Amino acid sequence: MSIDAILEAIYNWPISAAIRTDYFWFPFLESVHVVCICLVVGSIFVVDLRLLGITSNKKPVTELAKEVLPWTWGTFVIAVIAGTLMFMSKTTNYYADDFFRYKMVLIVLAGVNMAVFHLFTYRSVEKWDRDVPTLLGAKLAGGFSLLCWIGVVFCGRWIGFTVI
Amino acid sequence: MNRFISLLAGTDLSQAIQNYEWIIPTIQSIHILAVSIVLSSVAMVVLRLMGKAGLRTSIADTVKRYVPWIWGAIVVLAITGTLLVIGEPKRELTNAAFQLKMVMVLVGVAIIAAFQISVGRHPEFWNKTPEHRAGLKLIAVGTLVLFIAIAVAGRWIAYMIVDYAAA
Repeated sequence: MSIDAILEAIYNWPISAAIRTDYFWFPFLESVHVVCICLVVGSIFVVDLRLLGITSNKKPVTELAKEVLPWTWGTFVIAVIAGTLMFMSKTTNYYADDFFRYKMVLIVLAGVNMAVFHLFTYRSVEKWDRDVPTLLGAKLAGGFSLLCWIGVVFCGRWIGFTVI
Repeated sequence: MNRFISLLAGTDLSQAIQNYEWIIPTIQSIHILAVSIVLSSVAMVVLRLMGKAGLRTSIADTVKRYVPWIWGAIVVLAITGTLLVIGEPKRELTNAAFQLKMVMVLVGVAIIAAFQISVGRHPEFWNKTPEHRAGLKLIAVGTLVLFIAIAVAGRWIAYMIVDYAAA
């Protein structure tokens, strides 16, 4: 089964059609998606800015991560569910859209950046957890993450203008 | 009102914003990034007050970490929001979602200012008023809901456009 056939099949599901045609569901999903994206991006910024050394280093990195990131993941899951439902309503249009593709690539890049940071730089976190400047590796990871998520928001907004 | 709208729409700045199709999505993206800073910061302060996050940090220090970012982001929101109104005055000013949003913004800003003044005057006010705690928690959660509603109202402006030409 080709990707086009799969997209077409999903497009024809009753739930996809309902989201596409009902006057309430699409704006509702969009609202949930945008609120959750804001919470995802904003909470990631809290950690990124700490890693970059822009916000106060009196608070340990580990403590900040522990109190912020569970909310990041929770809202990320909701954003993905709402986003998937929106995608289902117009599969082929989204799939063909450049900004949708850029957005997906940026999310993957942000994920890879996070994984690399946790596998390497974060292992020595006790040494730079508080009161001292963060490592260069932490600053690079924080800065790269910040740029990825800013890009995600820009691409997301552009999708609203390019996918009709 | 209609005269004001056509006056605004005729200004050079409004024409410039309307004439380049990349300007409005760019301003909107910056607006959304500032919304994300406000929403997340309000959420972190409210979670701290509710005892759901950051309990190792005092309320005064939590406020110090997040509230300056809220004010900075609100300045960005006011500037980008004003530019969006100048660019599309009719779409915004005649829009029920926009009008409701502005009322909620005024209430939200007043609550943050009042809260910051209270913490500034009495850093321990939260702990010293256990008898009012239930009421204060209700206000805290209500404030987070209010800011979510502001973001949702912003999104709904696109769905509440009054089309006078079609009417």
